[in-house]
Amino acid sequence: MKVAEFMSSPVYTVSSERGVQFVSDMMNELKIGSLVVTDHGSIVGIITSRDIRSSHPNRIAADAMTPNPISISPDRFAWDALEVMEQHCIERLLVTHEEQAIGIVTRVALQGKLNQIVDPLTGLYRAPYIQHIGEHFLNRHQHFRLLFIDLNNFGEINKFHGHPVGDDFLVEFSNRLRTITNEQDYVCRYAGDEFIVITCRNENDAMQLEAALSQPVVIQNVTLSASVGIINGYLVPDFFSLSFRELISRASLLSTSLKQKSLA
Amino acid sequence: MQDKLNYFRKAMLSLKISEFEVPPMQDLLIIGKKAPIGPEAVKRMAQAISPEQFTIVKLEHAKIEAVLIRNSLLQMLDERLLMQIILEEADRLISDNMVLRSELKISVSVQREVELS
Repeated sequence: MKVAEFMSSPVYTVSSERGVQFVSDMMNELKIGSLVVTDHGSIVGIITSRDIRSSHPNRIAADAMTPNPISISPDRFAWDALEVMEQHCIERLLVTHEEQAIGIVTRVALQGKLNQIVDPLTGLYRAPYIQHIGEHFLNRHQHFRLLFIDLNNFGEINKFHGHPVGDDFLVEFSNRLRTITNEQDYVCRYAGDEFIVITCRNENDAMQLEAALSQPVVIQNVTLSASVGIINGYLVPDFFSLSFRELISRASLLSTSLKQKSLA
Repeated sequence: MQDKLNYFRKAMLSLKISEFEVPPMQDLLIIGKKAPIGPEAVKRMAQAISPEQFTIVKLEHAKIEAVLIRNSLLQMLDERLLMQIILEEADRLISDNMVLRSELKISVSVQREVELS
């Protein structure tokens, strides 16, 4: 799920002084939708078929390109690349390594792949996403907290109000998760009524998040609470020798025991 | 046969020679957003013909993409003021696919009163 897996290479370049018609012919010949524009060997922009359509054919590439192209490292996650493209409203990202262009990723290619791991009901990523994130942090020996969130009495909601209402609750709860999390958090719908948040926040902020998640919420006049099993990477001995699967198991068991306590 | 005897071809050649002005542009070039020549090409052309004498000013404007302006004018008047005047006047004439050239002369008149010793 890293950018390197989705990029197309090699990168084709064109000199900034070339005419738009030349660039268009080159793209047609190579059957590609964009070219990297260089000036004396340095990357100065990227020119796409859209740029060509909106430029006078007499212009040079330097006047038709998008200057200062945004780039990303091949080691970043595909969803980070997608987010960057959405932030900047662009369709392509240059993949660079040590200031050398080594590939291009397109929004269409990434979106197509990532849609396979997005939950269609809530729009949250599904389990494979959090698996990648967790393993990535473990491999890098980066501490984090894992919060396993299990909605209480969700079966009852389905039973008394029907499954479509249950789905509404899941959507509402997912929206709440989006609201209270930030760029240091990674959220997924793990299974039915279970969610996982991985957070890299500092102690205070993490405790605030934990408190917010433990607070019951009222949705459609029904109070919905959750049992949150927390694994704090800073407090677990040999944290980095554990597998991510083991961490999820522990957090899930904690959440189950909390649920049983609340029922008792 | 008759037609072939009357058949002839000729070419007329007309030659006009005048001095090439250096630089070929005057004080200003106002470049429309969809003009056949863009700011970067204009900048390179100006740099090749009159090195260090012109500056390209890129603008946020509905029809105008940039203005190439003689540096000496920027030394005499504030850039923002100059651009405001240029845009006000050019806006009425230009369409986004045009390049306008313009002469701009600045003359300063000074009147001072001094005390006589």
